[in-house]
Amino acid sequence: MRESVYDVFTRKERGDRLQHVGYVDAFDDETAKVYAWTTYSEEKWFEMCVVKRVNVLPVNRTDGLFVEAQDSSHD
Amino acid sequence: MIDALDLSTLSDDQRDALVRLIVTLADSKRLMGIRYSDWTLGAPSIETGVSMASMTQDEWGHARLLYAMLKTLDIDPAPFEYERSGDKFASLSALDREPSDWAAVVALMVLADGALSTMLRSLAQGTLEQARRRVPKMLAEEQYHMSMGSAWYRRLADSGGESRRLLAVATENMLPGLIAWLGVDDAAARSMVAIGVLDSAEDRLALYRDEVREVVALVGWDIDTVLGTSEWDEVRGRAVGRPDEEACERARGDRNRALLVE
Repeated sequence: MRESVYDVFTRKERGDRLQHVGYVDAFDDETAKVYAWTTYSEEKWFEMCVVKRVNVLPVNRTDGLFVEAQDSSHD
Repeated sequence: MIDALDLSTLSDDQRDALVRLIVTLADSKRLMGIRYSDWTLGAPSIETGVSMASMTQDEWGHARLLYAMLKTLDIDPAPFEYERSGDKFASLSALDREPSDWAAVVALMVLADGALSTMLRSLAQGTLEQARRRVPKMLAEEQYHMSMGSAWYRRLADSGGESRRLLAVATENMLPGLIAWLGVDDAAARSMVAIGVLDSAEDRLALYRDEVREVVALVGWDIDTVLGTSEWDEVRGRAVGRPDEEACERARGDRNRALLVE
């Protein structure tokens, strides 16, 4: 089973800006959530969420990680 | 909410039964941490290894909190944690041997850790005040263990071949001891039900079966037909047997304690 890249976003306090803190490789959404929670555990996050990188649609760039993710999804 | 149990009213038998329950949970958590820790390195991916490390910390934290619950009975937990020989350990039989492969670790996550959570859930809803306060946080952490275990269980089962076979073997080896432990209905267990510390054996088993029915079916097991082992040790409240000696040494922290300077 092929793994996918999931980007991890957190906010420390309610009202804080959601920030990108890193990514994990996982084979499905459930493991992505566990991996993210256990890997980025340096803070007591108010909120954490993961987004499958292939679902992030580039708007103005034609290069970079998110474009590469789009390209690889067509492999 | 039902009234909290007044521990000063317990008979000697009830008190012994409560100690047995707390110790079997605490020992199991400590051994689970050891089994998880062995897969921090060597897990299938870095992310999985990090998760194993995190789960190890969770299990050892749970063990420490559970041993500390003995203090409410005016019992010093230190001799339980550091001085018992391996044949006194009351941990789940599923934890007696080091998992031989990743499939066995996954089975531990879902089946053994799941059984512990079922028992803890029952305890948290009962009359033991300390459990009501301490156990819900443990169960919140355990949700991640079950999520990861279930996802991996499905992945290995779906992959077929050797992975699926190993998972089926591990499942077959673990379930009878776990069913016996969750469904224990000896005098000590019944006394815990009678004073509202636990649900009935039938209710605990029903919850557990609902929890794991779908996943074990993936490797050909019908959880409703699995019988508990008949070889039961009533003193420790677990199936007959004991953990390997190295695990017991690590659980007690023998080598670390030898370095202590008082």
